[in-house]
Amino acid sequence: MLDTIIAQATPIGKSGVGVIRMSGEKSLEIAKQVFLCKNFVSKPNYMYLGKIDIGQELSDLGFCVYFKAPHSYTGEDVIEFQCHGGMLVAEKIINKCVEKGARRALAGEFSKRAFLNGKMSLDQAEGVIDTINAETENQLKASSNLTKGNLFKEVNKMQESLTDVLSEVEVNLDYPEHDIEYETKENILTKLNKILIDVENLLITSSTGLKIKNGINIAIVGKTNVGKSSLLNALLNYEQAIVTDIEGTTRDIVTGSIEYKGFIFNFFDTAGIRQTKDEIENIGILKARELLQSSDIVLLVLDSSKELNNQDKENLELIKNKKSIVVLNKCDLPSKINFNGDCVKISAKQNLFTEELKEKIYNLSFGTQNIANQIILTNSRHIEILKEVKELLNNLQNTIFDVPLDCVSLDIKTVWEKLGEITGNTANESIIDKIFSKFCLGK
Amino acid sequence: MDGFYDAVVIGSGHAGCEAALALSRLNNKTLLTTLNLDSIAFLACNPSIGGTAKGQLASEIDALGGEMGINADKNILQLRMLNMGKGVAVHSLRAQVDKHAYHATMKETLENQKNLFIKQCEVVDIITKDGKVTGVKTNFGEVINCRSIVVCTGVYLDSRIIIGEYTKSSGPNGFVNAVGLSESLKNLGFEILRFKTGTPARVLSSSINYNKFEVQEGDEGIQTFSYLTKKQPKNACVCYLGYTNEKTHEIIRNNLSRAPMFSGAIKGVGPRYCPSMEDKVVRFSDKARHQIFLEPEDKFCNEIYVQGFSSSMPVDVQEQMYKSVEGFENVQILRNAYAIEYDCINSLALLPTLEAKHIKGLFFAGQINGTSGYEEAGAQGIIAGINASNYLNNKEPLILRRDEAYIGVLIDDLVTKGTNEPYRMMTSRAEYRLKLRQDNADIRLTPIGRKIGLVSDDRYKIFSKKLKSIEKLNKEIDKKIDSKIAKSFLESHNESFSGNACVIREMLKRSNITIDLLCKELNLFGGYSKQVLKYVETEVKYEGYLKRQEFLIEQAKRNEDIKLSADFDYTQIKGLRLEAQQKLNKFKPLSLGQASRISGVSPADISVLTVFLSLKKDK
Repeated sequence: MLDTIIAQATPIGKSGVGVIRMSGEKSLEIAKQVFLCKNFVSKPNYMYLGKIDIGQELSDLGFCVYFKAPHSYTGEDVIEFQCHGGMLVAEKIINKCVEKGARRALAGEFSKRAFLNGKMSLDQAEGVIDTINAETENQLKASSNLTKGNLFKEVNKMQESLTDVLSEVEVNLDYPEHDIEYETKENILTKLNKILIDVENLLITSSTGLKIKNGINIAIVGKTNVGKSSLLNALLNYEQAIVTDIEGTTRDIVTGSIEYKGFIFNFFDTAGIRQTKDEIENIGILKARELLQSSDIVLLVLDSSKELNNQDKENLELIKNKKSIVVLNKCDLPSKINFNGDCVKISAKQNLFTEELKEKIYNLSFGTQNIANQIILTNSRHIEILKEVKELLNNLQNTIFDVPLDCVSLDIKTVWEKLGEITGNTANESIIDKIFSKFCLGK
Repeated sequence: MDGFYDAVVIGSGHAGCEAALALSRLNNKTLLTTLNLDSIAFLACNPSIGGTAKGQLASEIDALGGEMGINADKNILQLRMLNMGKGVAVHSLRAQVDKHAYHATMKETLENQKNLFIKQCEVVDIITKDGKVTGVKTNFGEVINCRSIVVCTGVYLDSRIIIGEYTKSSGPNGFVNAVGLSESLKNLGFEILRFKTGTPARVLSSSINYNKFEVQEGDEGIQTFSYLTKKQPKNACVCYLGYTNEKTHEIIRNNLSRAPMFSGAIKGVGPRYCPSMEDKVVRFSDKARHQIFLEPEDKFCNEIYVQGFSSSMPVDVQEQMYKSVEGFENVQILRNAYAIEYDCINSLALLPTLEAKHIKGLFFAGQINGTSGYEEAGAQGIIAGINASNYLNNKEPLILRRDEAYIGVLIDDLVTKGTNEPYRMMTSRAEYRLKLRQDNADIRLTPIGRKIGLVSDDRYKIFSKKLKSIEKLNKEIDKKIDSKIAKSFLESHNESFSGNACVIREMLKRSNITIDLLCKELNLFGGYSKQVLKYVETEVKYEGYLKRQEFLIEQAKRNEDIKLSADFDYTQIKGLRLEAQQKLNKFKPLSLGQASRISGVSPADISVLTVFLSLKKDK
């Protein structure tokens, strides 16, 4: 009867391993679509190694365990994925499962189900109480944060408009004989459309929000020996990547993050792109190409002391449709490059102009907008809720003229309640209060 | 009086009548005491039964085996179905009834009821021993022993009439009030609240110029309150609609200093939904006029009730106010409008059975619990009566859920949230409104009433026949009809012929297709009653919404099924916020669901509570 819920079970943040838990009737069915493993015969309590689909043709190597009801934490069918730690991977796996029909769990929801199914033991329960407390404290901290406060205000405003509409509908239903200017369905629709626009505007900010939360992913690409690894080291300000004069030194992806102006930037140093027969290096080159596609920003590094060759030209083609910056490295050497486009000249080796490059990356990520004063969605639960609200409102637009008013009221209330999952309000009392404060009613 | 009764019902208003009938019909020897036999089932305010949400309540009382619906049907002067254009969940029956006949027929029913004894007297004290009731004491000094009591004192407890500067300790309409019992309740530990309500003037019909009013006709051929009523009542009278005007409002504004509402003479809390005219004029000063309805008090139509025009202004001001209305230039006021203040208890002291939490065998129903309205009172009356009987006979109590009945919503609101103004039922209070319809009250509640023993064989036979008929019709609409006929039928009503359009059920789902059309144009469904046709049509058309609601109900039910102990100390749970600890300790909810509805208890608190419960369970 209950739907299938999913959430990360391990603490959110960087860690070696991340565990994602999914509970409900559909969890096995969803797992089968997301987890790719030849031998996965869904035998309970066995650990299977395989690829977890994280979308965009990427996958993570990880484990999957199936706990059959009632022998699971919640007492329902439970799937647990063990993936690589870190926000991004876990988040993508969850997104994939949500796509397939799961819903993000609310705080304490797994434990609630465990309790409802008589599975909760003393130790676990105490553990959960701690978690819930911790979460409440975090929420308190978060709500003192200006941004979140603004979101609550915004959501409250939407609810207030919905309450207005609802009270008009309800007074119409409960006081049919009063000479009140009743809200027509056209008027209701106009008001709902306004709310829909607000919701859509909020949702637009969610991409920025995710950037704030997870950082900006920046791929450093280019042909071999243009100084990509040196650039990474210069940006990080320490020797993360091995730097030599030998072409093809970097094979696997080397990563490092910095904080700049309060935001996280994740750099990915990749294997130089060239034609080679070295199998391992080719895998690295393939990864570099993949990363070039999936990253938020690409830094294409060119050697300014040499003329552009065919590989460079090919690489310039590759980044054409990406958000990118052309970096002319080795500006300490005499310039021989025949490149006239927009670019940043630096010397990674001498650490010259790297600050200018960071500024350019920042501007490309966030523009000149003042993030401090606007609402930006960062919490994926909030985003999920607003997406559902958007869908509900869309449906309502399509059906409002075909269904009677008592059903329209239920539809609007559903939107209200959905928004309430962000703020934690309840509907009924406020509608009735509104009815009495707004309308003059006799018996 | 022979010394001992199973139950004593104090008060013979709408709650008292239902409680007394339920108790005696369930074979408990019952005494009904009343201050005045002439005030049995007295319609002290408007001469009508039903209306939005109230019509549903009346049908629910009837479905359980109560009397209000039957008694109303016997005395109908005009019948209307409100909200016809707005969805079947809010279709609401309202009847103008003959208030004198209503009293007389109910009195007769009581007099002929086996196991029921009636006595005119005033109960002045409730006697308890070891936390249980043992009897009552009357104004004559008599002690009547009993094992249970249902208190249904209405607006009579220490009540006071207010008309301008004039006030008098009195019940409504000049009836005597009850002065002893308040003190007794206080001594038993109940918190006493002071509420206020009001009623408009009654005027002489022949003094009204009806040309200035709009006629309001009744509706023909609609269902009645009771499922037992076979004869379709006739509309014997009409009502009228008129308006106040700027002059009326000016008179009120010029005399506000003399209005008890504003001078401080009235201390009781009045209902927001039934304001006096002076209240309307002050709070909604931008409105140029207010509606008033003229309704006959009885079949003679000589005395007219002026709905919407209640007031507690001095009589000379009332005279001016009324005469300022167009058509009322020569109006003759027979009885003045008045406000009435009365004592009631804080309903949070009650269990969902309507029994006091701290005194066994003591039940409360009606306006004493802070409600207003005949239907609200009757609904509590029948439940209090049933539960008093269950208490007497060691049976499981009857608690209707919020998704089962308006009665469930009403009582749950009273005992979980309490009320700080007279509580009126509204359809918006019911979160599962689409399920709680008037057309299915019997399907929801008659099986329950049968189990309890209030549903007679007669009633049950009619009910079973209806169920069978519904079942048969449901099978019939799953059939296909000839595709050519289906196509031309659908297209003639601007519906496309697609999908499973030959199946009748699918056709019926289309917004332009009604069961009436299917009957008339395709000659289907001969031999079914109107009610059965309407019911099946509704279930088909609302299917999607009903399923959604059912899902919500299922989710909520899980929390209802988790029971909480009444003697638990919530301050032990550190995870709960302080406010939640205090509220939970004060209310002592019986289930997790009930706890979640207490104002001041947040969803986060409920999560903590949920988890803590399992801790306790393991110990």
